Amino acid sequence: MLRKISLPTTPELFPEPFRALLPALLATRGSIDAGRIEQLRARRSVLSQSGSFVGHRRYERGDDLRRLDWSAYARTGEFFTKQLEEDDRRAVTVVIDLSPSMLAGTPPRRLGALRLAAVLGGLALARADGVSIVAPGASNASKRFTGTAQLPQLLEHLQQLPTAPVSSSTAAALALQAESVGRVHWISDFAPVQEFSRPLLMLRRRGAKVAGWIATVPEDEAAPAGGYLRVVDPETNVELSVPVDRALHDELRRQLVLLERQQRRMFAEAGSPLWRWDQGDCENPCLADYLPVVAACTR
Amino acid sequence: MTLASPEYLWALLALPLLWWLSQPPKPRSQVLTPHMQQWQLAMRALRRRPPHGSLLRFVLLALAIIGAAVAAAQPFAGGQSGPSRLVVLLDASASMAVETEGVSAFAQAKQKLLTQFEQLPEHVEVTVLRCGGELRRRHGFAARALQDLGEPAGSLQADLNELAEQVETEDCAVWTLTDGQGLERLPSMGALSHFDTHGGNAAIDAVRLIDSWPLKDLRLEIDVVAYAAGGSGDAVSAELQVLGATTSEQRYRCQLRSGVMLTHTFELQRDKRGGELVVQLVMAGDRLPADDRFVLSLPPLPAPRIAALAEPDTANFATVAAATLAEEVGGEVVANKSDTPVGMLLVDGGLVPLVGDDGVVAKQRALTFGTRLADSVDAEVWQSPAPLDWSRSSPLTVGLDLSELRIDRAWRGILPRGEPFLWQQDGDQRVPLGVLVDGGATASVHLAFRLQDSNLPLLAAFPQLLRRAFVRSYGEAAAIGVSPVGVPASERNLSVAAAGEDRALPEFGTAAQSLAQWFVLAGLLALALRAFVR
Repeated sequence: MLRKISLPTTPELFPEPFRALLPALLATRGSIDAGRIEQLRARRSVLSQSGSFVGHRRYERGDDLRRLDWSAYARTGEFFTKQLEEDDRRAVTVVIDLSPSMLAGTPPRRLGALRLAAVLGGLALARADGVSIVAPGASNASKRFTGTAQLPQLLEHLQQLPTAPVSSSTAAALALQAESVGRVHWISDFAPVQEFSRPLLMLRRRGAKVAGWIATVPEDEAAPAGGYLRVVDPETNVELSVPVDRALHDELRRQLVLLERQQRRMFAEAGSPLWRWDQGDCENPCLADYLPVVAACTR
Repeated sequence: MTLASPEYLWALLALPLLWWLSQPPKPRSQVLTPHMQQWQLAMRALRRRPPHGSLLRFVLLALAIIGAAVAAAQPFAGGQSGPSRLVVLLDASASMAVETEGVSAFAQAKQKLLTQFEQLPEHVEVTVLRCGGELRRRHGFAARALQDLGEPAGSLQADLNELAEQVETEDCAVWTLTDGQGLERLPSMGALSHFDTHGGNAAIDAVRLIDSWPLKDLRLEIDVVAYAAGGSGDAVSAELQVLGATTSEQRYRCQLRSGVMLTHTFELQRDKRGGELVVQLVMAGDRLPADDRFVLSLPPLPAPRIAALAEPDTANFATVAAATLAEEVGGEVVANKSDTPVGMLLVDGGLVPLVGDDGVVAKQRALTFGTRLADSVDAEVWQSPAPLDWSRSSPLTVGLDLSELRIDRAWRGILPRGEPFLWQQDGDQRVPLGVLVDGGATASVHLAFRLQDSNLPLLAAFPQLLRRAFVRSYGEAAAIGVSPVGVPASERNLSVAAAGEDRALPEFGTAAQSLAQWFVLAGLLALALRAFVR
């Protein structure tokens, strides 16, 4: 029986400590990028039908068949795809899952997701690339920001994003409609896995280079230790009354491990990385908590 | 279906409460999760299901409760309207003893009741009122079995017509069984069974007995009456018989006018052995024999052994007196021995210790003449006491003439305390010469002079005095049993009974069938099924 559930309120997204932390976080870019700029530029290149040829890469499943270099195949007998450096400005697209399921967790996963989006967007603005915030379900589902000066607007925009139930395929389609796709950072809980598999492949086939982000919460690791609980999926409103004991606790942890494996396998099959990020103490954010994000972006 | 106690259906209001109680408890803690699928997989892996209320189990429980509530409300179905009670007014007056072909009307009425009761529905409550004589009420099983209703006797004191009107209601039927004797009209309400007891009847109305106990003389005054079958004015012939404990049977044939009482007197000599003395009236065509017979149970007459004691030097007046008395009352003279019981002691002179230390004469039938009754008595010779007088009211001397009595010598102080019946008139003082000591069942008579010292044996009153002393010494007469009590006068004239047509009993209602046990069974079945449902 479905009943109305009360959703938790999200704490303040960008408190003053976070805002004070952000400039220092963006300033770490130089030290991380030093000596590897060319390599990074090459890695950041986005496959495109147009642009300058920069080299070959072994074919990976999901790559656009139009980019196969048949001459190289004739010479070597192996599949290679042509790597072209796009002429457009390098772009970053951040896709944010605004579904109610992101409200789960203590603190809510949504808090970590939006802060993660702020960091990713801020990093993109700091590199003078444009950043598109794709938030399906919001009134302004896709908004583009350019330049570091728009960082406050970016934060404001993120802060005003509502909670809206949107399917993953809608989010993928919306991301592809962006002005310049570039690299796609998809922030979600990616559960259940089967709902994200097809949209992820679709993005990959359309040439988007996708990186998955999961802002982890303690509930991803283990179930509650015990008690008689009403477990609610805020997205579907499906609920379950469960007496939790040790056996169930262990079994659920095993299922969560399996879920994590399925998520990794899904992204691996799509040729995309999946980053799991623990936001740490949400009330007192520190630089060390966010450095893994910066490091992941520079790879 | 109808419910006898529908208020029990309020118990069904507990069903919502039961529904609420049958639901599993609600968790107090809520956990939001995007991993519902993992929760479900974990539960499935452990073969667990979340607590849930079973609608089927609740439905079965509700059925059980509904069954119990409806059963408590006493449901019943069917049934036909009609009386559920029957009150029988059974006339048991003496006239119901009239027999037809050897069977009394009362027996016919009881047989009719038993036959009808066998066909009566089980649920009909039966009450039988025996009206007439002793009122008896029987109810339920005792009524259906007609237990201990007795025999017809006495008069019909209840007005059956009025009684039937009071008893008859929509729910209660009344059935009167009567011969109409003693009623102005038969009951107009309810069922009626009339028994014909019309006919002639002769009855002994009263028997008066004049007993001469302990003597054998007996006088019977008998009132008889007869009623002809055709009505008053007719003459009927009857014979009055006295049979049994008498020296000779007596028969008196008489002509009786219907309804006119006749009194006849019999002078009898009782058989000294006693026994039943039967007085009966015999008339041809008499339908009610119960009032034709009067039985008196006579006790045997006392036949005492009379012992005579006299001083050796005296004449044999005492022996002669004893012989005279024995002949008078049918006794015998016996020698005064210690091993021979004596019923009457006659003593002339001498000393007989009849008085105890307390000065009271022992309870003994004795007649003494100038006898000292104790050793301690100091007798003083009293020469020629005169003038003499006697009691005119004492049972010993009433009607006797003792004016010729002369006493040459008497003794002062030898008489015990008692009622004087003979005395010497000394101015205003009376000095007793003879006393009666009354001991209740026994009595003794004592005189202060010996027979030889007076002319009493020569007087004509002497035998009477002896006889009266004997009668008086036997105290009160033995009770005569009388049976039966006569039939009341209102029951005798069998030609004036009210008559009418019989009326059948109404249709009784059929019993409604209770459905409670079926609802209980359904409830139990639902509970049994619920035990197998998870």
